[in-house]
Amino acid sequence: MTSRRGFLKAGGLALFGISLMGGIPSFIAEAAASEKRVGPYKKKKIMVCIFQRGAMDGLMAVTPFTDTYLQAARPTLFIPATKDGNRSPLIDLDGRFGLHPSMSAFEPLFRSKQLSIVHGIGSPNNTRSHFDAQDYMESGTPFNKGTASGWLNRAVGLLGHDAGTTPFQAVSLTSALPRSFYGDNPSVAISNLQDFAIQMRGNPMGANMAAKSFEDLYDQTSSNLLKSTGKESFDAIKMLQKVDVKNYKPANGAVYPNSAVANSLKQIAQLIKMDVGLEVAFTESGGWDTHFNQGSDTGIFARNVDDLSKSIVAFWTDLGQYQDDVTLMTMTEFGRTVKQNGTGGTDHGRASCNFILGNDVNGGIVHGNVAPLAVENLEDGRDLAVTTDFRAVFSEVADKHLKINNDKVLFPEWTGNQIGVMRA
Amino acid sequence: MKAHFKFLSIVLAVFVSGILLSSFLAGPRLASKPTTFPYKKAGLTERQAAAHLLNRFTFGEKPGEIDEMMSMGLENWFEKQLTANDPDDSLKTMLSKLDAINLTNAQVEAEYPKPGTVLRMAIKDGIISKDSVKADQKQYRDQLLAYMQTKGMKPQQELYRQFINQKILRAAYSNNQLQEVLTSFWFNHFNVSVTKNDCASYIPAYERDVIRPNVLGKFDQLLLATAKSPAMLYYLDNFQSSVPNAGNGRNFQTAQNPNLMANPQAAKFVQQAQQARKNQGINENYAREVMELHTLGVDGGYTQSDVTQAARVLTGWGVYPLDDKGGLGTLGKKIIGAYGDNNLAKAGFVHDGDFLFNMNRHDKATVTVLGHTFDGAQGYQEGVDLLEMLAHHPSTAKFITKKIAVRFVSDTPPQSLLDKMATSFTEHDGDIKQVLITMVSSPEFWTADALREKTKSPFELAISSVRGLNATISAPFLLNAWITKMGEKMYYYQAPTGYPDKGQYWINTGALLNRMNFGLALASQRIPGIKFDLAALNNHHEPESAQAALLTYGKILMPERNLDQTIARLTPMLNDPDLLKKVDEAAGKNTQAAPADMNANDPMSDAAMNKATKARVNGKGGQNAQARLEYAMEGAPGNNTMLSQVVGILIGSPEYQRR
Repeated sequence: MTSRRGFLKAGGLALFGISLMGGIPSFIAEAAASEKRVGPYKKKKIMVCIFQRGAMDGLMAVTPFTDTYLQAARPTLFIPATKDGNRSPLIDLDGRFGLHPSMSAFEPLFRSKQLSIVHGIGSPNNTRSHFDAQDYMESGTPFNKGTASGWLNRAVGLLGHDAGTTPFQAVSLTSALPRSFYGDNPSVAISNLQDFAIQMRGNPMGANMAAKSFEDLYDQTSSNLLKSTGKESFDAIKMLQKVDVKNYKPANGAVYPNSAVANSLKQIAQLIKMDVGLEVAFTESGGWDTHFNQGSDTGIFARNVDDLSKSIVAFWTDLGQYQDDVTLMTMTEFGRTVKQNGTGGTDHGRASCNFILGNDVNGGIVHGNVAPLAVENLEDGRDLAVTTDFRAVFSEVADKHLKINNDKVLFPEWTGNQIGVMRA
Repeated sequence: MKAHFKFLSIVLAVFVSGILLSSFLAGPRLASKPTTFPYKKAGLTERQAAAHLLNRFTFGEKPGEIDEMMSMGLENWFEKQLTANDPDDSLKTMLSKLDAINLTNAQVEAEYPKPGTVLRMAIKDGIISKDSVKADQKQYRDQLLAYMQTKGMKPQQELYRQFINQKILRAAYSNNQLQEVLTSFWFNHFNVSVTKNDCASYIPAYERDVIRPNVLGKFDQLLLATAKSPAMLYYLDNFQSSVPNAGNGRNFQTAQNPNLMANPQAAKFVQQAQQARKNQGINENYAREVMELHTLGVDGGYTQSDVTQAARVLTGWGVYPLDDKGGLGTLGKKIIGAYGDNNLAKAGFVHDGDFLFNMNRHDKATVTVLGHTFDGAQGYQEGVDLLEMLAHHPSTAKFITKKIAVRFVSDTPPQSLLDKMATSFTEHDGDIKQVLITMVSSPEFWTADALREKTKSPFELAISSVRGLNATISAPFLLNAWITKMGEKMYYYQAPTGYPDKGQYWINTGALLNRMNFGLALASQRIPGIKFDLAALNNHHEPESAQAALLTYGKILMPERNLDQTIARLTPMLNDPDLLKKVDEAAGKNTQAAPADMNANDPMSDAAMNKATKARVNGKGGQNAQARLEYAMEGAPGNNTMLSQVVGILIGSPEYQRR
């Protein structure tokens, strides 16, 4: 059995300890990049979550286009499934639901049954506050604000294995740790993989020396926490150093949009391909709070879904042979009003929809339950009713993909049933 | 002589307090002053004890502070910190440049309105058409900004920038360090978050008026002040908690006020409010967290029924209308004005600063919480009684004092200490000062187990570095960028639990690397707006070698610490004559050309400078020689790379992450 330490030593770059990071000369990086798999870990199943902050209008992303009530409630927002002048029509998925035309990148994945959609998903707590709803969704306890941990952190705890041995088991590509990751299990927020080095601008040798010094110092400290985390940090740097993070070339002709969420997904793809022990990844996407001029086939919402779907599809293409290991899931705190408001937008509502992508997904189906949008069927007379508890879907994806089976821990207050978004 | 006098005064103090105490046996124990701290029993010298106090009760020692404390006496120093009335003139001068930090909540609403308020006004004034709102366009944003300027309004980011600036300046420069440390502690205990829009604008006033003045007072006062603050009322939703169907019946007497209803806007508002209230009812969030997080603790012995019943007791607690921008607040003020304060008081309403108790929204049923019955007729007062009961509950004494011990002693404080502190809390009616005195007077505070056992939070690391280097900060916000990067986004912790106070939370791989990089960036003066003079810290004695720099600055930054290991680990490398050769080899270059006699262990020496200069002049050694030259050149006195590198490594070292 090769120890992880041994593996790293054998990497050939350990000549001067950590000396090659920081202002690492590019010729070294290029030489090092030839080795693809740099991590010493066995391949793992990976769950990637994207939180769409601001509450995505699920009825515009995936429209029940045969619903006459919806057409009436949204005179300028509704997009028909048939071509209407210069406007692009919806993409008819199943005769009842249509995908927004700017999400055409998703269509092939839906047809190939790798992409599934849950409609009418939301929280049992009917708060329409972004803050509260996000807080509840991320803690996974919709009626308890004081829950210290986030559901993804608890998922990491249930995974158990290798805990504490890889610095990259749970990674959030955000500037601060998201609520979903709060908790006792190791998780890390990284806004940019390139920052993962000892840096002294304009003084690479100084950085090299400092790095060597730090590694020695953390190796000798009497604090176990600092010692073990220090070792992890330097191991992590060495792993990342073996690929050219900065000049990463996506595989299989994948083209990432130039956006924040695309950039995060690209870095998650890099981590996945490095086999550094990643199991839970998180990132977020913004701009969904469309109270004003939401647009229809073009406009703000169209640009948002265009970016999101193209980013996800680029990520998926880039993964190539790693697709079997990865399931990706989107989430948003609530949906938006059925009726459009006076400023060409929609206000805070209840249920929305989400997307799940993976080779173990029960794909090509719009799951869930969306009744005709007559006023009497709406929650509080105005909103798409929540018919699927988000915990039913989150738990199923986590259980089936990550092989964790303790919903009591994952969602302590939840007692519902899963709905079959994953293949058995 | 001095020692004799001190001994005498202590004996006297003990004697006097003993006499006084005996006459107060029936009542709460008389407040006591700190007596001699028992550090000698733990084997600490007075210097070491002083260093420990600075580590625990300040944001880090400034050069020379140990000597100051010793000449004053450790106990006197601590008492001065407990009194917290140093005038802090130089800090006040720095803060005087921040014009937003003293605004009331109402002034904040007027000058730094929420974006939604601005938009509403702009649409109303015809500046922006309802149909052309394009939040993602620059032109549109500029239009709004220009409109705000004409109205004398400023973007909220400026408010938060100034707020964070003042926190950094206070932490770095206040002489009342304990007060500032406790302000951070209690803010975190009663956490509110900028991430929640509704409460964000009220957070500066919350810290300033609710937290800071109460941090060394009685716990119940602090609890009550937070409960009544707009920031907490909005953060945990208690402002919207009301008896179900409060919109029905007599509480809409407003609608019968003809003067008011003649105003169509007001009439519309009343209708809207009636409609909105129909759907409202009890919100349990605050009631639950006040028990779980603020007082009893999760295992404090309460049930779900206690939570629900407590929520009913606390219905009607809300915020006096603060917004004067023509929104609901303006109308709310008119309605309240139409009644008049006297009439409101007669009807059981309570208006106290920004707090408003609305009797009409209060649940008047008889309920029982933790065995105490509240008959519902007392209105506001029964909420106060409930909070008093919680503040004085035995579980609260345990929960709060443990949290204090975890903050000031170690992540795992010994039970014997916890027992003493909980007893002190109860005997002194929740007097925070007395709990601190009990803690510092206990041998457990001074044991070897407690020394440097706490991990600095990113904020503590940043501030302690600034203090340790005697640095001046002209742009605190740039320091904040590093604090964020190291994992502590100030005032942004989303959950009401506040940041966990334990090393494991702060130390992970990404955060740790950023701490190291912070040390290097700070020491090499690469964080704009933070200036210091490394040479001045050592009385302008330039260390003769890198090793000497390590010894000298190690002592300056970490006085009374055992740095033998740190020095032993670093010295060989700093002294390694082949250091640069190794760097070159590692870079994959043939370094045969590197001059073997180069005095690599001291790149700032004349010899190194000369060699490097020659290498450049002669064009010898190519790229590597050039790099070495630049390295050595930066080693010129005054811009001393080797010295700043040593200091950077010290700040990023594991020892410096501890306090």
